[in-house]
Amino acid sequence: MSEFASPPATATGAAPPRSGPRSFAPQSGFSPWKDPSQAPIVRFDNVTKQFGDFVAVKSCTLDIYEREFFALLGPSGCGKSTLLRMLAGFEQPTDGRIMVQGKDITALPPYERSDVNMMFQSYALFPHMTVESNIGFGLRQEGMPKGEIAARVEEAMAMVELKPFAKRKPNQLSGGQQQRVALARAIAKKPRIMLLDEPLGALDKKLRQQAQFELMRIQESTGTTFIIVTHDQEEAMTVASRIAVMDKGNIIQVATPNDIYEAPKSRYVAGFIGDVNVLEGKVSGITDGVIDIEGAVSGCHYKTRSNEPVSIGQQVWLAIRPEKVRITHDKPQSAINVVNGKVDDVGYLGSISHYHVKIGNGQRVTALRANTAMTVGPPISWEDDVWMDWPTEAGIILTS
Amino acid sequence: MRRWYVIAAPYIWLLLFFLIPFFIVFKLSLSDMARAMPPYVPVFDMSGLANFFSQLDFENYTFLLSDPLYINAYTSSLKIAAVATMFTLLVGYPIAYGMARAPREWRPTLMMLVILPFWTSFLIRVYAWIGILKKEGLLNLFLMNYGIISEPLNIMNTTTAVYIGIVYSYLPFMILPLYSSLEKISPALNEAAEDLGSPPWRAFWQVTFPLSMPGVIAGCLLVFIPATGEFVIPDLLGGSETLMIGKTLWSEFFNNSDWPVSSAVAVVLLLALVVPIVVFQRMQQREREAV
Repeated sequence: MSEFASPPATATGAAPPRSGPRSFAPQSGFSPWKDPSQAPIVRFDNVTKQFGDFVAVKSCTLDIYEREFFALLGPSGCGKSTLLRMLAGFEQPTDGRIMVQGKDITALPPYERSDVNMMFQSYALFPHMTVESNIGFGLRQEGMPKGEIAARVEEAMAMVELKPFAKRKPNQLSGGQQQRVALARAIAKKPRIMLLDEPLGALDKKLRQQAQFELMRIQESTGTTFIIVTHDQEEAMTVASRIAVMDKGNIIQVATPNDIYEAPKSRYVAGFIGDVNVLEGKVSGITDGVIDIEGAVSGCHYKTRSNEPVSIGQQVWLAIRPEKVRITHDKPQSAINVVNGKVDDVGYLGSISHYHVKIGNGQRVTALRANTAMTVGPPISWEDDVWMDWPTEAGIILTS
Repeated sequence: MRRWYVIAAPYIWLLLFFLIPFFIVFKLSLSDMARAMPPYVPVFDMSGLANFFSQLDFENYTFLLSDPLYINAYTSSLKIAAVATMFTLLVGYPIAYGMARAPREWRPTLMMLVILPFWTSFLIRVYAWIGILKKEGLLNLFLMNYGIISEPLNIMNTTTAVYIGIVYSYLPFMILPLYSSLEKISPALNEAAEDLGSPPWRAFWQVTFPLSMPGVIAGCLLVFIPATGEFVIPDLLGGSETLMIGKTLWSEFFNNSDWPVSSAVAVVLLLALVVPIVVFQRMQQREREAV
């Protein structure tokens, strides 16, 4: 394992010493994208990919830094896999350049991109080879001495706990084991950049969560830059240091999971990550960073703290996460961000409950409440007349 | 009860049209030639069963061994069939590979084109090759017209013509099993191999070719087995120097009217081909188990 732990110095030679491993917490000291002295390990420079008339990726520019666990997130057909496949070398960009450590690799075929290895969605294990020789395949291509290959294969198998299965063929393995072989096969090459195309898509939920933590552990211990493609927002939030949200070939927003959730840039991003209430309105006043909004639902006024540059009269949308909405039977004392409605639906999920409330105009607002013993008053039920409110800090102003 | 009928049907078919005829031929091979009708003795006779069996012997088989003509015909047939199978594989593999990697919507059309020659009689297609290969045939006319050769090529009535005939006639039997095994190989496997540092040609030999082995073996046997006993192609395209067991069998049966010896030739041919057939079935079984 020791060999994996020390990545070679960057080509620029200017990698500053790191202050220990980063924690998995979304907000930690690890944020090379904020440091202008850092050179990205991967740079997509205005990359476009067309298949006939279909534009899969539209002039994407994206920097990914060393040791990042970067997630490309979006619905199927948004171009995230195409972006990854261009980095691996399976697709040629129609326009633009792809740089790895400052080197233009756009024209290199996949087998000459030694810094990059990919784990396939289908795993693409060689069915005629044992687990061992699958994992050793990439090393044999390099003409590595036999003893060294055996040692590396051993090391990679130990990392993903595959040793007992060394002599088995892929079809004698379970889905989870196959997934680990695919991972070990790519990691055995010790790439600087590891690409993962929906790596856990075929696993059931419980196994997937386990595998997510395994991926994070391996990423951490090897110091490899991981780029993962996924349509599962929860997965992206769990594993990634940064997420790029994509839609129809465009990168909509690149940010940490925390920022994506708390400060989405558009209704699309807000809706894609987690649940969100979106309230339409017009800006009616701006005072000291607090924006007044005249709601589209009659009689609703909202106030929210925001730095968003908006002008009076502009149409905006206010996004509020359900867990930030308080729901009560009694009218709250505060007068701001208060709406009144009828409970339309209650979703009981054990630890928490969802309340869907109609506030008029067909608009529904969802509130989320933890089912703690402290919850006071009678339980909220269908057709109840309820009040909902949220603090001025909770709402996010979206202009698109 | 009804299930029993369904299972029995193929076995009854095999019994009636394979096993019983085979035993008749086998019995003939143990008989002696006679100037009579039928031209062999003994004829099956219920009254003297013991006498009937006592007259059967393996004389014809020892005769096959004693005359080098037969041994040469067998080895020459196996050699011609083996070489022709090799060439069929060399021609068929790229075609099957191209079909398997063609856009999905083209594949049925390409498949159709491979099967299309079957719509014309086999005999007519082999005859057509005479028109192409003979001295004043299409091939020589074409080559001489364009000044590529000055003297006509002497292909007709040679073993080369037999090779051409076999490769042409049996190509679909090679392509179809190859195609079906190549089509099953996911292109992602080649991508994975390339991603792991293997250039395309090496990826082919390390991944695609080994995985297409069941198709290679099936195709080779489907060509090799009928080509060994082939009669029409050597008869029409081959010359006097082309020695093949099918022709020997024919002349023994029709020219010499020696039914017992020609039956012995047929039985030995069958035994010689049972070995590759068993290998073929083993391979198929292993493939099924692997899935």
